[in-house]
Amino acid sequence: MTTTSTPAKTGGARVGVQKFGTFISGMVMPNIAAFIAWGFITALFIPDGWLPNLGFAPEWVQQLGGWSVNEDVENLGIVGPMITFLLPLLIANTGGRMVYGVRGGVVGTIATMGVIIGAGIPMFLGAMIVGPLAAWVIKAIDRLWAGKIRPGFEMLVDNFSGGIVGMLLAIAAFAGIAPAVTALTRALESAISFLVENGLLPLASVLVEPGKILFLNNAINHGVFTPLGTNQVAMDGKSILFLIEANPGPGLGILLAFLVFGVGLMRASAPGAILIQFVGGIHEIYFPYVLAKPLLVIAAIAGGMTGVATNVIFDSGLRAPASPGSIIAVIAQTPPDSLVGVLLSVVLSATVSFVVAAVIIRAGRKRDLEAMADGDDALAAAVAKNAANKGRESSVGDLLGTGAAATGAAGAATATKIQNVVFACDAGMGSSAMGATVLRNKFTKAGIEGVTVTNKAIANLDGSEDVIITQNELTARASEKVPGAIHVSVDNFMNSPKYDEVVDMVSK
Amino acid sequence: MSKVLELNQIKAAGSASTKEDAIAEAAHILIAAGAVTPEYLDFMKAREELTSTFMGNFLAIPHGTNEGKDTILSSALSFVRYANPIDWDGNEVRFVVGIAGKDGGHMDTLAAVATIFSDNDEVQKLIDASDDAELFALLSELNDA
Repeated sequence: MTTTSTPAKTGGARVGVQKFGTFISGMVMPNIAAFIAWGFITALFIPDGWLPNLGFAPEWVQQLGGWSVNEDVENLGIVGPMITFLLPLLIANTGGRMVYGVRGGVVGTIATMGVIIGAGIPMFLGAMIVGPLAAWVIKAIDRLWAGKIRPGFEMLVDNFSGGIVGMLLAIAAFAGIAPAVTALTRALESAISFLVENGLLPLASVLVEPGKILFLNNAINHGVFTPLGTNQVAMDGKSILFLIEANPGPGLGILLAFLVFGVGLMRASAPGAILIQFVGGIHEIYFPYVLAKPLLVIAAIAGGMTGVATNVIFDSGLRAPASPGSIIAVIAQTPPDSLVGVLLSVVLSATVSFVVAAVIIRAGRKRDLEAMADGDDALAAAVAKNAANKGRESSVGDLLGTGAAATGAAGAATATKIQNVVFACDAGMGSSAMGATVLRNKFTKAGIEGVTVTNKAIANLDGSEDVIITQNELTARASEKVPGAIHVSVDNFMNSPKYDEVVDMVSK
Repeated sequence: MSKVLELNQIKAAGSASTKEDAIAEAAHILIAAGAVTPEYLDFMKAREELTSTFMGNFLAIPHGTNEGKDTILSSALSFVRYANPIDWDGNEVRFVVGIAGKDGGHMDTLAAVATIFSDNDEVQKLIDASDDAELFALLSELNDA
């Protein structure tokens, strides 16, 4: 929370924020399609959505939207469960995978259920914390008994340790993290009401915009602005408060900046996002873009403050909450005497956030392009990782070629110590199991500790491997699956000179 | 649970002279032991086409592919020694260990096979063994592994 909302002053902090941003981006961006799907579904099916507004609201539309009054059906709808469960769990899974492969993803997802149920509001912040954290915990726990499990029992131990740890973490998240997030939300709400009641309206954007990005938009809107605004309407016939959160301008500006200056997936998905956000009124669609580049929250705040200031100057407001915050809903709720002010507030806030966002996006553009050129498309956790991978790959070439000189290079190039050696073959049933045994015996004889040697089917490699050993013919398939690992080819599984090189490499 | 390697799954004098026949010989032992269905042989051949199962030290370990695992009924090994080396993709093979692995139940045994065959002295003992029973005695630690 503090890291997202207080972007960097000094160089060190700046790098820190960028690293944090690339990690967040890596969690969020692969799931952008799910956000877009949810955005369209929401825009179409909620009571204020496009289909009901067109007068098309048969039973199935109501059921999808979750507002059917038919008592004979489960009336969950698809909109609520998607944003409450699906989207945060996807993010948690991706975050977990980034830390510890598929297994990290699974445990991270389990644990995140605890936060979601505990908080009772869409829990993206919690998912982004608990997903990777839980993956890190299971990684640390696995290390405790790595290499000590009898061959053949690995899967049993893995499944039960993962299940039990996942359960405990879900309970811990429910009991610990969820209340903290709920308290944060409450604090945000009361701080915003304080600003509003004391006439410090434009300052409210400093809290509202970061709050929105963390998907607290509905909590803020319904918890603060709707009750206060409704009181004002009773007296003045309109309220500026309905526009502080619901103004689609700041989000539009940020998305436009991505459309013009962004790269890769973020740029390509911007037009659809604009449609969903500005016309559909589903602001959530632009939050991932900001989460991926946390500095952009400055653009959102600047845009939001501009909009609020414009409405203060023109004394303009809305008759009722614009829900969802679509430009159409906003205009529909604008009384005639406020039309100029409201429209100006949207246009100006969009312009200001566009300009600020453009500067921020352009500043990071070169880096993003490089990341994309490396095939990771703004999934930039990749940037640092790629550098390391390149070091590894070149050392692999050396290892396979010249042997001795290379092992030193490999030791130097891999910043992380080699801990996870995997023999891979097609089925993970025969040759790899034997090779793993032989190498394990060699490690024991060499007195090497803390390195696990396991065997897997190539299809099950998940990226957590440091060194992958395969038969000559299968090395290409394995390195395609896990390009980041050191790959060693052997022709004789029983007695390969390559084993001694691996022993050398690991013991350094 | 039955042992994965019984005396009647060991042959000190295999009859095959080609790789194809040796794989079939291994498959028939596994089929006779009730460990696999006859279709398993096809998956063993497919696995061999993918990459050779020659392991080094005169050992080859034909087994099925990942797709063929439904044809495995229980874990078992076959162990056949050949007096004349078989040409296994250009390598000399004297020992063919057919593998049927179900739910990892064969892993301990396989690990023991690997340990034996990575030790040249042990391999020499297996070459010198006179009959099925002596091989079985040398390999019996496999069942206890």
